[in-house]
Amino acid sequence: MKNLFEKSQKGHRAYSLPKNDPAFEAFTPPADLLRTAAAPLPELSELDLTRHFSTLAARNRGIDTHFYPLGSCTMKFNPRVNEWAAALSQMTHCHPLAPSPFVQGNLEVIDDLLALLCDIAGMDGGTLASNGGAQGEFVGLRLISAYHASRGEKQRKEILIPDNAHGTNPASASLAGYHIHTLKTNPEGDVDMHHLKSLLSDKCAGLMLTNPNTLGLFSPSILEIAELVHKAGGLLYYDGANLNPLLQIAKPGAMGFDVMHINLHKTFSTPHGGGGPGAGPVLCKEKLKPFLPTPRVIKEGNSYHTVWHEPHSIGSIATFYGNFAICLRAYLYILLHGNYGLRRIAEGAILNANYLKLHLKDLFTEPYPQPCMHEFVLQADNYLDKGVKALDIAKRLLDYGVYAPTVYFPLIVKECLLIEPTESESKATLDEFIEMMRAIVKEIQENPEIVRTAPHTTPVKRLNEVQAARNPKLTALK
Amino acid sequence: MNRLIAMDFVANQKNQWEEMLAALGVRSIDELLQAIPKKLHLQPPLKDDGLSEYEGMRAIEQVLSKNTFPQYENYLGAGAYEHHVPALVGAICQKSEFLTSYTPYQAEASQGMLQATFEYQTALAALTGLDVANASLYDGGSAAAEACFMALRANKGRSKIYLSPKVNPFYRGVIEQYLFSHSFTLHAGEIDSDTAAVVVQNPNFFGEIEDVAALFKKSKEQGAICILIANPLVYGLFASAGELGADIAVGDGQPFGLPLQFGGPYVGYLTCRESLVRQIPGRIVGETVDAEGKRGYVLTLQAREQHIRREKATSNICTNQALAALACLVALSWYGKHGVRDLALTNYQRAHYLHEKLIKIPGISPFSQKPFFNEFCIRFEQKVSDLLPSFHKQGIQPGFPVGEHKLVVAVTETKAKEQLDRYVEVAKHL
Repeated sequence: MKNLFEKSQKGHRAYSLPKNDPAFEAFTPPADLLRTAAAPLPELSELDLTRHFSTLAARNRGIDTHFYPLGSCTMKFNPRVNEWAAALSQMTHCHPLAPSPFVQGNLEVIDDLLALLCDIAGMDGGTLASNGGAQGEFVGLRLISAYHASRGEKQRKEILIPDNAHGTNPASASLAGYHIHTLKTNPEGDVDMHHLKSLLSDKCAGLMLTNPNTLGLFSPSILEIAELVHKAGGLLYYDGANLNPLLQIAKPGAMGFDVMHINLHKTFSTPHGGGGPGAGPVLCKEKLKPFLPTPRVIKEGNSYHTVWHEPHSIGSIATFYGNFAICLRAYLYILLHGNYGLRRIAEGAILNANYLKLHLKDLFTEPYPQPCMHEFVLQADNYLDKGVKALDIAKRLLDYGVYAPTVYFPLIVKECLLIEPTESESKATLDEFIEMMRAIVKEIQENPEIVRTAPHTTPVKRLNEVQAARNPKLTALK
Repeated sequence: MNRLIAMDFVANQKNQWEEMLAALGVRSIDELLQAIPKKLHLQPPLKDDGLSEYEGMRAIEQVLSKNTFPQYENYLGAGAYEHHVPALVGAICQKSEFLTSYTPYQAEASQGMLQATFEYQTALAALTGLDVANASLYDGGSAAAEACFMALRANKGRSKIYLSPKVNPFYRGVIEQYLFSHSFTLHAGEIDSDTAAVVVQNPNFFGEIEDVAALFKKSKEQGAICILIANPLVYGLFASAGELGADIAVGDGQPFGLPLQFGGPYVGYLTCRESLVRQIPGRIVGETVDAEGKRGYVLTLQAREQHIRREKATSNICTNQALAALACLVALSWYGKHGVRDLALTNYQRAHYLHEKLIKIPGISPFSQKPFFNEFCIRFEQKVSDLLPSFHKQGIQPGFPVGEHKLVVAVTETKAKEQLDRYVEVAKHL
């Protein structure tokens, strides 16, 4: 289909501007500072623009339109009431540098949400400023560095990260100046304890762990892991990407984690927006609190104020308060559920995942037979002789009218399908998905070509990624 | 029973719950939780302590009613600007298919978001006068920090970054944070052959338009990469980053389509010359063809990214501001080729109108003689903190105080002549 720039029609416009006044017109900018030609932006009427973007929307799938079992992404229902809250002008008209007395409501939301998140996670304090999960990881690691530095242990330059961790973990550790040791996973899907012990030393700053991990498994050795790392003088970082199945079930703080981030766009239902904006609040134990980023919201009596500089703080991480409007959505979501509802979320997510796994495991290789938490992995390696890979199955699922699971992640599982149904989905939807998978397996046996060349019913057929990378065309004007 | 029913988004009810447990051959969820050490198990909450949707909405209204700022006429800028947000922006960004999708890993089912992102990249490249753009970054501050890393990688071996002292201090904080763990020096001294990058903001934090072209020319003679931070609206009227000689342009797309919303979500933009494309952080969308030769879009050059390269990636960034970038694109195309220029001119004229009236008032002087765009700095003889209550009493937030005597004032199209005149009246009677 044509792009916006090709649809442009000379002289068409959608915009309007407030009334001008003759008094303004006296001011003309110095000619030598101006751009030589107008920026080549499109010219379209508001109807044509609306139709363009509506057509694009129809070429996109979201949770509202399709089952979206994308593992490790927690694609749960995004309540519309969250959107109502985030559109209220009492919030949207607030400038981030407004004097504290004029934004008491926002500051109260920040303070209150942090308290709620700390209670959920078993932590003592935190910040909402980090704009996403990866930025949260970076903040957490900076807190760990500041802590070790404050104790004269600057030699702690190593971070341990399991081989099944999200790619952001090593990338964030690298950004925070750490050397990374990759920790092996044992055949049961847990941390390899021998390997862990061999990597611990007085150079170790800490361990980053996702629990349940990206295989969907809770680490039964978590208490022992925490003890070993702490004994070696390291700290434990909790990657909160998979917090959903632990709500009111267990607290990372009680497991021994010292610092963590939470993906509000996963566990707390804020929309994923095609790749953000999310939010990645960071929470920590008492001993790390002095180092938390600024700005900080302080409550005194019944009023709140913002502190922009703190002597021990690592400094700022976002330009202002981070993605506040995302935090507001998550705040409402937590209020609506209460602890009772949060527990139901976790239980529902665990039940749905185990039910789905039960019915899909015989179609594929099941690397980890034990019960899973909110998600699980299967190996689609049993149809390779038919020339069908995990990717082909993912593409064929699109034809059946769902989104695909995460494929080829975690990297340690061959032909990996990582499936996360979330608590929002009904049993009927899961049953339909099971039937689709059965039908695809039947196709693989009878007519693998149709799977290998899928998708067939999407707006475009399978796309050539190699060509895109070899001859990059990154704008419409080149 | 303390209520009829609280809000809950879990679809399955008791009967499905029991069917599924039975299929699994367990009596309760607890049997699925045996990997969790006993001592970690929490007692399930017994009492329903949630809220109905009605109660939740009232709770939010109540807390937000404590914000009085929306009742003030606002002249704060300093990195976040009050602009009209076209109604179309909300209508498009609230479309379910955009709002509730995720990073387009399955390109064939995500063509809408991918094409929109490609168009966003095009619009930003066009506006800044550079070749390519990425899909988005968190905010202006982190975009500036990521640009520094691009330059350090492209100019390997060099150890200094020149950071202009007039860069927005809120951006500077984020740049310092990102660079903290790396052995590079941020300085404002001499630019030489050890300088990897020169970072300038234009207009700078005080609103001044500087002679960036000359500085960049000098910097290039030393082989430094030139990074320009700017409010993108300035490019509607003034020379583009490309025309000024920048290699990388960064900033915050907030003025186009994103409300102030207490600091975020905003969206960091990043555009650059073609030669730097493989140093770009984060997602990039590229055009390609499908199996039948039909045009389509995919995430591309992914070998730079964390999910492939892990610790060797160009950035740790993953989920960031896709929907905010869409808002920016919708606003930019709503204004379009001529509207962006007219909007910038409107901002320019209103800011100059207010500035001219203010500096005629005894006790107020201009901070500088340099040209400015829609934001300027003025100096008061009195302490600004003593003056603020008079402005506040009249319902005006007059700007952002810097030091004891200075105020940075932003004026946009949202301020009518009567409002500007009222500001002047208050200033006259301080």
